[in-house]
Amino acid sequence: MEKTLKKDAFAEWLKKLPSYDVYVPVEDDGRFNYEIVGNAGAIDESFTNAVVGPKKVVFPQREVLLRFNSTNEKAPEVEEVLPEEKPAVVFGVRPCDARAVTLTDKVFGGDFADPYYWRRRNNTTLIGLVCTEPPSANCFCTSVGGSPAGKDGLDVVLTSLGDRYYVETLTTRGEKVVSDGGKVFGEPAADDKKAAEKVGTEAAAKVERQVEGVNDLTENLRDMFDSPFWDEESLSCIRCGICTYLCPTCHCFDINDEVLVPVPLTGERVRTWDNCQFPDFTMHSSGHNPRPNRASRLRQRILHKFRYFVENFGDYQCTGCGRCIIYCPVGIDIVDVLDKTAAYER
Amino acid sequence: MTASVEEIRAEVKKLLDEGAVKYVIGYRNGSAGPFAAPAFFTGAGEADELVWDPTCFHNLARFLADERREDVCAPEAEEDGKKPVGVVVKGCDSRAVAVLLQEKFVDRDAVYLIGVSCEDGGVIDEGKLARKLGTAKVEKIEFGVDGGFVVTTDEGPIKIESADILDDRCVECRAAYPVVHDVVIGEQVDRKPEEPYGSLDEIESLAPEERWEFWERELGKCIRCYACRSICPMCYCDECVADTIAFAVTADTTADEKAQKIKWVERSPDNSENFFYHLVRAMHLAGRCIDCNECERACPVDIPLRLLNKKLEKEAKELFDYDVGFDPDVPSLISSFRDEDPEDFIR
Ligand code: SF4
Ligand code: SF4
Ligand code: SF4
Ligand code: SF4
Ligand code: SF4
Repeated sequence: MEKTLKKDAFAEWLKKLPSYDVYVPVEDDGRFNYEIVGNAGAIDESFTNAVVGPKKVVFPQREVLLRFNSTNEKAPEVEEVLPEEKPAVVFGVRPCDARAVTLTDKVFGGDFADPYYWRRRNNTTLIGLVCTEPPSANCFCTSVGGSPAGKDGLDVVLTSLGDRYYVETLTTRGEKVVSDGGKVFGEPAADDKKAAEKVGTEAAAKVERQVEGVNDLTENLRDMFDSPFWDEESLSCIRCGICTYLCPTCHCFDINDEVLVPVPLTGERVRTWDNCQFPDFTMHSSGHNPRPNRASRLRQRILHKFRYFVENFGDYQCTGCGRCIIYCPVGIDIVDVLDKTAAYER
Repeated sequence: MTASVEEIRAEVKKLLDEGAVKYVIGYRNGSAGPFAAPAFFTGAGEADELVWDPTCFHNLARFLADERREDVCAPEAEEDGKKPVGVVVKGCDSRAVAVLLQEKFVDRDAVYLIGVSCEDGGVIDEGKLARKLGTAKVEKIEFGVDGGFVVTTDEGPIKIESADILDDRCVECRAAYPVVHDVVIGEQVDRKPEEPYGSLDEIESLAPEERWEFWERELGKCIRCYACRSICPMCYCDECVADTIAFAVTADTTADEKAQKIKWVERSPDNSENFFYHLVRAMHLAGRCIDCNECERACPVDIPLRLLNKKLEKEAKELFDYDVGFDPDVPSLISSFRDEDPEDFIR
């Protein structure tokens, strides 16, 4: 289904979605984040990409899994806590981030579908925004199978055509939010479809960064487990959580019991994001840590994304959003690291 | 003006040529944009890749903690492993080394300090630069001839006044000339900032409730990536209260000890835990933070962490007349007691 939406009618559309948690990109001192807003006038035209992507809507950093409480010194009673069935709609989703959600779908789906993830995921509508221009000089979506106009994972796609958006609806969830909008949408003109396609193709040509020899990558990485390469490339890595927490495809988590009242024992079992760069990630209770240093942790990050994930799910676990490059405080650059694997003497 | 990169390279080349150091920690051009990145130089031939520009923000003293714990760039011959490590240090970075020496975390003969004077300049603030230039694509940032900066964008070079994009720590810097060093490149320029704690004025003028709201909002953004801790040269503890293994587990740690471990802070990024983490960190840096501002620069969600640490620096100065990182031989603030120390704040 194709429609158009005048940019100044955007607020009208949001008003027609009162039952949803509506997320739009909001600017705070130069950085954007998806935040729940009551009514937004428009999507900020200077929107680049959010620091944390829509991953946080389907896979929040903190999720309560269950509550426990014990009275009269009996075994604790356990209450399952599933996320509320509240529909959410996220506006301004970049194609790389939407595609990333299709990858976390694979991880949390399959034979052991994660009920917490899916409760949120099935209630979330992703409204994409085609990049008219790569929002960052470190975007490399086109190298890893994506595009600034990619549609994977999106329910609706908006393409900016001057003072209006060309609106394509791709799924039933998308149809719902568009039909809720009713008359705020107009009918597209005859050549709008062509114009929208042109925006995407032009943007794709402007994606500057490319991973060289990307087709041989997984094969090249196969013999590099014991290579000194990882020591060399990770020298300045400080093992923080930036590259993984901000990555839209990173999905590792930890589960802890948080005690609220010690006697009688009351508390919550909580799932929080975790990541392979932290010292406790693979710490065994014996004190042995199979990934004790920066080299083994950088290796894990790269091999997981470009080898193990390919072996398990047939796709790179990277959509080229560039966040790990932009925000790494010491300049470790995944494109540069991947490029070097191609030329490395094995 | 500023120190010349040729002189720094020549010094690094000489040290590596003569085999006087194990390796040198300096700066290279980053591969992903106009900013420099930390680099480890092991051979004299690499010295030409060393850069010195207003994006050499990183406090390279941070890497001395890694050097102490792991073999970094381990040389083949064992005796070479005992050589000092060369480190390029700005004024603030040298004060970090001074604190590490004072705390006996680093031995003086384990480091060879290649001091670089910022003279009357310093490093830029990426945020200020972005606000100044908007969406223009920055290709290169250089020191100008008369104190300012020259920024080359896709539309050509432009001159930018120092005051517009200089990092706050440099605006308030009292010691751009390295305090400890083995060699210094660049001149000693006397810097007396008009208001050394000026960046605190605004927050100090707020009422306590407003300040509480401010920190609730700011720390509410924290995703607990711990980049602020991990990049800090002073955060070198083996056991950080922030990690879920809040004590060093070894093969000899008994099951009992593990069971008794105290979990100081939960992983949940809510304000109770975020405040706890940040207040503990701030207190652990009182009298130790030398204001390199790396924590704030590293923070992906832009929390103004410098305000916390600068406030404690100011308290140390006003209450105890203590200057951080100027003399490795004086007792540290936290571990010393003088009869004349004030105690009227103890209630
Ligand atoms: S990586 Fe591609 S899709 Fe993502 S923001 Fe950049 S240009 Fe857009
Ligand atoms: S690569 Fe960069 S962002 Fe990732 S852990 Fe290392 S220092 Fe942090
Ligand atoms: S690995 Fe880096 S570029 Fe790839 S999806 Fe993750 S954050 Fe984006
Ligand atoms: S760097 Fe920023 S987001 Fe990360 S833990 Fe520190 S304050 Fe929080
Ligand atoms: S607390 Fe921040 S400013 Fe202070 S020494 Fe550590 S990184 Fe530098």
